Amino acid sequence: MAKLTRRTCLTTAALGAAGLPLAAPTAQGQGQPLAGPALVQSGPPVAERALFGASSWTLPNGLRVVLAESRRAPVVAHYLFYGAGGGEDPAGKSGTAHFLEHMMFKGSAHVAPGAISLIVAKQGGQDNAFTSRDVTAYHQHIEASRLELVMRMEADRFAGPTLPAETLEAERLVILEERRQRTDANPRAKFWEAQEAALWGAQHWHGRPIIGWEDEIRAITRDDLAAFYAQRYAPANAVLVVAGDVREAELRRLAEDLYGGVPARPAQGRHRAPPPAPNGVQRFELKDPAVREASLMRQVMAPGMLVGETRHAYPLEVLAHLLGSGPGSRLNRALVQTGLATSVGVSYSGDVPSFTTFSFATTARQGVQPARLEAALDAELARLLDHGVTEDEVRRSIRQLTAGAVLALDGLGAAPRLLGDALATGLSIDTVEFWPRHIREVTAPQVMAAAQAVLAAPAGINGWHLPA
Amino acid sequence: MNAPSGFSVPIQVLPFAGGSAWLVEDHSLPIVSVSWSWAGGASLDPAGGEGAAAQAAALLTEGAGELDAIGFADALRDQAINLGFAAGRDQFEGSLRALTDALPDAVRLAALAMTRPRFDSAAVDRVRARALANERRALETPRGQASRSFWAAAFPNHPAGRPSAGTAASLASLTVPQMQAALARQMRREGLLVTASGAITPATLASLLAELFGALPAGAAPLAPALPAFHRFGQQVVTMPAPQSTAVFGQQGLAITDPDWEAAQVMLRVLGGGGFSSRLMQAVREERGLAYGISAGLDLMFHRGVLVGAVASENARVAETLAVTRAEWRRMADTGPTEVELADAVAYLTGALPLQFVDSRRIADGLLTLRQNNRAPDWLAGRPARLAALQRDQLAAVAGRLLRADDLSVVIAGQPAGL
Repeated sequence: MAKLTRRTCLTTAALGAAGLPLAAPTAQGQGQPLAGPALVQSGPPVAERALFGASSWTLPNGLRVVLAESRRAPVVAHYLFYGAGGGEDPAGKSGTAHFLEHMMFKGSAHVAPGAISLIVAKQGGQDNAFTSRDVTAYHQHIEASRLELVMRMEADRFAGPTLPAETLEAERLVILEERRQRTDANPRAKFWEAQEAALWGAQHWHGRPIIGWEDEIRAITRDDLAAFYAQRYAPANAVLVVAGDVREAELRRLAEDLYGGVPARPAQGRHRAPPPAPNGVQRFELKDPAVREASLMRQVMAPGMLVGETRHAYPLEVLAHLLGSGPGSRLNRALVQTGLATSVGVSYSGDVPSFTTFSFATTARQGVQPARLEAALDAELARLLDHGVTEDEVRRSIRQLTAGAVLALDGLGAAPRLLGDALATGLSIDTVEFWPRHIREVTAPQVMAAAQAVLAAPAGINGWHLPA
Repeated sequence: MNAPSGFSVPIQVLPFAGGSAWLVEDHSLPIVSVSWSWAGGASLDPAGGEGAAAQAAALLTEGAGELDAIGFADALRDQAINLGFAAGRDQFEGSLRALTDALPDAVRLAALAMTRPRFDSAAVDRVRARALANERRALETPRGQASRSFWAAAFPNHPAGRPSAGTAASLASLTVPQMQAALARQMRREGLLVTASGAITPATLASLLAELFGALPAGAAPLAPALPAFHRFGQQVVTMPAPQSTAVFGQQGLAITDPDWEAAQVMLRVLGGGGFSSRLMQAVREERGLAYGISAGLDLMFHRGVLVGAVASENARVAETLAVTRAEWRRMADTGPTEVELADAVAYLTGALPLQFVDSRRIADGLLTLRQNNRAPDWLAGRPARLAALQRDQLAAVAGRLLRADDLSVVIAGQPAGL
């Protein structure tokens, strides 16, 4: 399952007028707010209130617990995040984190293989899990009185999955089918996978597919899975997030009782190799009889929130919007409304533990030569670097990006996903709770400094997926 | 344990000119969602004009009144307004979600879109190019190919058998007058169904409805053509290069007015419902590792549920997957679910009800589906009791009546072996 980022969650909903008051959280916990009023330096107080009003604390074994209370409906969302994903797969064993995610459903001391999903369903709940490059998460949405039950079962597999050998081969077949369904039978996914490998290297942590290369999925052993669990699934490397209709005192008691007994042990940190040495923008091309439209994917190396020139991270979010979000954006006007392309998008997320990319995707209209579309893209980026951005453009992008952030409260899943992902990635809760303020503080000169940093002498890849 | 939860949602019914609106009022967040629909949608497109309603729906938000496409988009995006229209197989739908401060502008823009869409030629051209690209892209995967062929074979002489968004040929020739005619047919004051959820009072909703729909022409859209019986077509193979084959399979279903509708829903949850619980998921994925997932159930259209499912397996093993699927189909037809399976399915369907009520858009859309199915406002409140009263014999009877393993029609796309 794709990773849900702050960017997709807080902004795709379409966002409201700048300065619009954010809704107050419906209830305040008794614990220490993660980012209280003391952090707010200026501005209208109501607009600077924490988005989810989450509280958090840490158990003696190192497990961090976050509560985003909402009494809107008698339901809870219960998420356990581990700060390890496909990026932590051992060399030559890509797909290990994802394989372990599957095997975590095969039972633990007090739960039979496969039983957890069946029990959750019998209680009217829905459960699933996902593996991203940076995190692995297990979750249940369920009627509020059943919270203790799902916490008990999740804590049981946290303390020790059985990883029964007799289920391993059938599950490996399931994963190979998953890989075929997601990637091998999907021309665009195959292109994406090949380009990532070309850019970073097929054995680099960022160049390997999260689901794994087929031959490496076949090579993963039970010992590999057990080792990954032992090294990465320690309480100090995990984050429990509960959202919905539960009081803090109750969650403190349940977390202590059910998760407090998982023994503390050392957690292995991430070891993320840097990207390949900068060597300009390499050209990549894949001709494919299965596709009918020529598509361009250009990725250039960019800093994130935690590595490199991190000061560019928020300005790059604004730049991505200004260039490629919606009909009013620069590239949409230059490429789509001129009839060269059917679509264009620009994406960037700095919410990663290490290196990332700033990327452009566009599809040529039938009859438009790829070279012509690429030249138009280059011309627009050159104009940006030569003439800069206007203050009005930046203000408008900030307005469209931020003001509807409160729509993330309309539903149960956004709070745990955003908060858990941020903490498990190594970011502070502040990056979620006060994201609109961070974006509003971005200035036009900062946007241009970021643009110069990633686009003036870019390193990366320019990939064309072409009909054969 | 497993008792029906006491959760229920108060639905208010507001009459307004020509119809009524259902409202779930909730002031916990400053957000309002409104959804509305008319029966018809793509099914009203004339032969050769496939995609007219879908293109028209897309163009409603590509410029209206004094606002060109960019002006209209920015007016929405500057204020966090979601507004969209879509023509599905048998419904033409609109929806909006806005923060309460932006609601007046959201309503103004929605009304403008429905009454004064511009159809600027540049926008028409752009939306057409995008639809053509999407149409071609949809056929790049085995799943897209199998699905397209399945519906065409199952309903060869009915709009259910054609793609709602249009074909490459029809999209290329569609004219603006054809799209405008689709809107004129469809967007009428009669037959309009409206639902709303969020921070809005009945009085405010009533005035909003007048502004949204008051200017629409009187009268009703033509009736959508009734769905004929599912055409059994046996097995078709669409050969395309792929390491995995996707199978889409199905058969005749039942009418939503069928007295056994809910018994069938529960029985099909046991056979092929979501998650890991179903017999098909257990037999195909858990026991044999034949697929990443498999599901089967009722696909609602034209006041009927068509029984349809899908699965993808490696080319060499897809024949085994289909054999296992047919065996489970037959076993359910022969003996029905067990008492335990019945109890578990009812517990899930009852217990999961509150999960549908955490998001204003989902609430409005869920209520709209109930209205499209002609359910009464108290249908949801009575559901736990109705489900609890279901008997195993009743489910076994409906399984015996409905499920026809030997009649299952299947399209397989890929390079399947042994079929």
